[in-house]
Parts: sequence; structure tokens; C-alpha cells
Amino acid sequence: MDWQALFTSVEANGLSVWMRESSSLLAFPTVIALHAIGMGFLVGASVAMDLRVLGFAPRIPMRALEMLFPNMVFGFVVNAASGILLLLAYPTKAMTNPVFYAKLLLITGALAVAAAMRKRIINDASRENDEPRERAEESSTRRDRMLAYSSLAMWAAAIVAGRFLAYTYKYLTAYELGMK
Amino acid sequence: MEAFLQSLQVWLKTTALGHLMNESRWAWPISESFHFIGVSLLFGIVGLYDLRLIGFLKRIPMSALHRLIPFGVAGYLINLLSGLTFITGAMDQYVHNPAFHMKILFMTGAGINVALFYTLTYKSVRDIGAGVEAPLQARIAGAVSLVCWTGVIVCGRYLTFFRPPARWCFWC
Repeated sequence: MDWQALFTSVEANGLSVWMRESSSLLAFPTVIALHAIGMGFLVGASVAMDLRVLGFAPRIPMRALEMLFPNMVFGFVVNAASGILLLLAYPTKAMTNPVFYAKLLLITGALAVAAAMRKRIINDASRENDEPRERAEESSTRRDRMLAYSSLAMWAAAIVAGRFLAYTYKYLTAYELGMK
Repeated sequence: MEAFLQSLQVWLKTTALGHLMNESRWAWPISESFHFIGVSLLFGIVGLYDLRLIGFLKRIPMSALHRLIPFGVAGYLINLLSGLTFITGAMDQYVHNPAFHMKILFMTGAGINVALFYTLTYKSVRDIGAGVEAPLQARIAGAVSLVCWTGVIVCGRYLTFFRPPARWCFWC
């Protein structure tokens, strides 16, 4: 597979060139700002859910946490879209960097945990009603708490991985791949 | 004023923190990572509360959601501290950076909004449960807060594109 040829053709694409070389604020700067905003919505909603499962704000009914998922979807969509544009701008830089794959894996993991929490905890069919529990210990088993901790850890790690992308890449563009 | 800023900037770089930020390979990225985690906490948790104030997420009782705010405040403190490490390491990159000025402006707006909210409005929303809307004053406070913190994030991300010599800065 001739990766250099593939990356070169992607980087020659008009949208890629615009993202990378436009001096307009609406190009790279705004896309990356949107990526941060989406992160706030996505991680924030997930963190709120995790904190509730861990026992903070115990008067929030578990069932009400279901309302946080549209926020997560919104954040995810914004970040997937902005992420694709960022990837389009610098495909070589991202895809030759193992940290990028670690980031994607961590995000997938955190989302899987969120889905598991939704199924196990928030939509627990054994709950007769969604009266708030007075003591969080009654509503969360140890396994639920482990899910919440791993969610928090994975989001933190994903954020760190994302930041480190800018400091760990080996090749900026496909041209550099050809330089041995 | 210019001379004072110049000497302050030089002095900051001679401090232990200044040395760390400029000479260690990973100090800056680690500090930035904390900064981004703080953003997620601050914008995420406070943003959720703002959304509830405005009228979304009605099934979550406002009074209970407020219990998570300390985590948003923790995010703010993490960001304040990590932000100070950046200014210590490279004050010149911020002092004449119009994006940074705007960021501080938005932060001030958010701060004034928070102060007004807690002195004037909070009593009327403190005990609001699920399904109930907040009064107009509170809804405005929530909207202003969201706009201000969004502005802080956007300006923060724009910092690297407005580094001195300034791209444009008619007030510098």
C-alpha cells in the first residue's frame, strides 16, 4: 500500500489545502475551536453522569441522566465532523502517529463505557420509579463505580493524548515521508 | 508601562517555574493537558447547569444539578493555575496578543455574570426541582454564561494565530 501516494493525494484535495493554508480564521483555527467546544459538551456530560454514579449530587434521579445523552451526541457529532476536517488537513501527521490511534481507542472505550452505564444503571428496568436515592451507596454497585472511574480515566487520557498529538508527530505532510 | 511589562516578563522567565516551562520538553504539553481537562470540567459542568437554567434538560432538578458545580469550579482553578504557568513561561506571547485580551474580556464577563447571578438570582432558583422553568433573569444568566465561556474557549484556541507581532491589534 503506497501510503505516501495516498496521503499526497488527500493533501492535494482542495478542502485539505484550504484547511491547512487558508489564512482565514474560519479554517483551521475555527475548526479546532469547535473541536474544543464539542469536547466540553461530550466530556462534560459524561463526567456529570460518572460523578452522579459515584455518589455526588445524589438527588439527581438516575433516570434523569438519560437527558445527558443528547448532549453527548451533539458533542460527538461536532467533534467527529471537526475531527474529520482536521484529519483531512494533516492526514500524514495523524496517521503516522501512534498517539492518534491511542486517542481514538480511548474515545471508543469511553463511549462504550457510557453505553454500558446507560444500559446497566440509567435504564435499569428493575427500578420501579425514579425517586432520588438518599444514599448513593444504595444505588450503585461496585461494578457501576468501576465503570464510572474508568470513564473518567479514559476521557482524561483521551484529552492528554489529543494534546500530545501536536508534540509527538514525526511527519507533518506526505512530502516528508519521502525524505529518508 | 512597557518597561515594567518587559522587566516582569524577563524576571518571570528566571524563576524556577519559568525555567521549567521553557527548558523541560514535556512541561508545556503536560500543563496544556491539565488546561484542557479543566476546560472539559468547567465548560462541561457549568455548561450543563447553564443549559438547565435556560430550560433544557428539564428532567434534571436544578437544585440537585447545582451540587456538581464545585467540579466546574475545580476545572476553573486547574485552568487558572495552568494558565499562570503559561504566562510565567512566555508572558510576551500573551501580553500583546489580542486573542488573549479578548479571552480575558470574556472571562471578566463570565465572572461578572457569576457574581450577579449569585447575589441577585440564585435564591429564586436554588430549590427548583425537575420540570420547572427558571425565571427570566436566571435564563439570561445561563445564556450569558454559555456565550462567555464559549468565547473564552474560542479565543483560547485562537491564541496561537494571533501571536506577536500581532496579526491585528489596533489597541496594542
